[in-house]
Amino acid sequence: MAHSETISLRAADCLAVIPARDEATTVIAVVEGVRRALGCRVLVVDDASTDDTVLKARAAGAETLRLPLGLGAWGATQTGIRYAHRNGFAGVITLDADGQHLPESLPALFEAQAGSRANVVIGTCVERLSRAKRIAWRYLRALTGLGLGDFTSGLRLYDRAAVEILAGPAASLLDYQDVGVLMLLAKNGLAITETPVPMLPRREGHSRVFASWPVVALYMLHTTVLCLAQLDSGRRRPPALAAGNSTC
Amino acid sequence: MLTGQITSAVLGIVLAGAILFLVRRDHLHGPFAVWWFAVATATFVLGVFPQVVVWLGRETGIGYAPVLPIIIGLSLVLIRLLKLDIDRSKQERNMRRLTQKLAILEQELERLGGRPARDVDADDDAA
Repeated sequence: MAHSETISLRAADCLAVIPARDEATTVIAVVEGVRRALGCRVLVVDDASTDDTVLKARAAGAETLRLPLGLGAWGATQTGIRYAHRNGFAGVITLDADGQHLPESLPALFEAQAGSRANVVIGTCVERLSRAKRIAWRYLRALTGLGLGDFTSGLRLYDRAAVEILAGPAASLLDYQDVGVLMLLAKNGLAITETPVPMLPRREGHSRVFASWPVVALYMLHTTVLCLAQLDSGRRRPPALAAGNSTC
Repeated sequence: MLTGQITSAVLGIVLAGAILFLVRRDHLHGPFAVWWFAVATATFVLGVFPQVVVWLGRETGIGYAPVLPIIIGLSLVLIRLLKLDIDRSKQERNMRRLTQKLAILEQELERLGGRPARDVDADDDAA
């Protein structure tokens, strides 16, 4: 596949996808912040919440999708990506609904995309990573061949080529927006880059991946099997164009 | 006192009969019916004619022939389990994609003037 003709994305042509589960307390501020910072349409995908996340998101001016069954963070994100694909958006920017991603830092992803012409830009905050995560990521870097600093950051910008791949059935059995997604993109020859962004600690809730040690162990086991099955994907092309992660 | 041959014949016939009954009653359909029909036939043949096992053991070079049906049986069970997980993955993928499509179509319906999703929750619960 030839993805060399990547164009620089305009924020106004993109859709901001925010997967949310029981985030009624933070979703308004996040939606308003994104609309202010990017001026693009915002879609909140409600992952079978039990609170009024949907009503709050609508009140803040977002479009909403309500999943009747909980599909997890990636299932909800993919719903938004399929929506963007169906409605012809030029790209998708994803961020978490808990307020850890600062709206002011979103334009930096578009700048990084324009500068590198990558298909995917990941917003990372390496300084914020815990020791456990640093060890886990070092292991995954070696295993996948992807030279990235953070594999689970939910702050990402995907261009049309990436949206097309991620909207397809091949991405539907993944559980997290992490290594599996990146391996799938790398396998299809897409360029992935990172850009440092400041992040806040989570105001509500906690990481779904790094919830407890047994969960982490199970996650690493799943990911290892996935990586071993796709061992060639990350090494197929130069995976990262310019991984800058000095300041945060 | 039953001889070994009568016991194995009874077991084979009962199992084959039970499977045939289930296929006839439409509890198993399509490829499942074919698979289980083959299993029923094999159980029947091996149960009624145990000398087939001895012959098979001699042909395949297995010294203790009675272990052969156990090996074959276990292998078939493993294959069946593998197929079951493949099917489950396929169903999971379909279920996830249908759920996503449902959410997208519900939103489009609402945009076209349908009732908001929240109002139809009662219908979903009743279903």
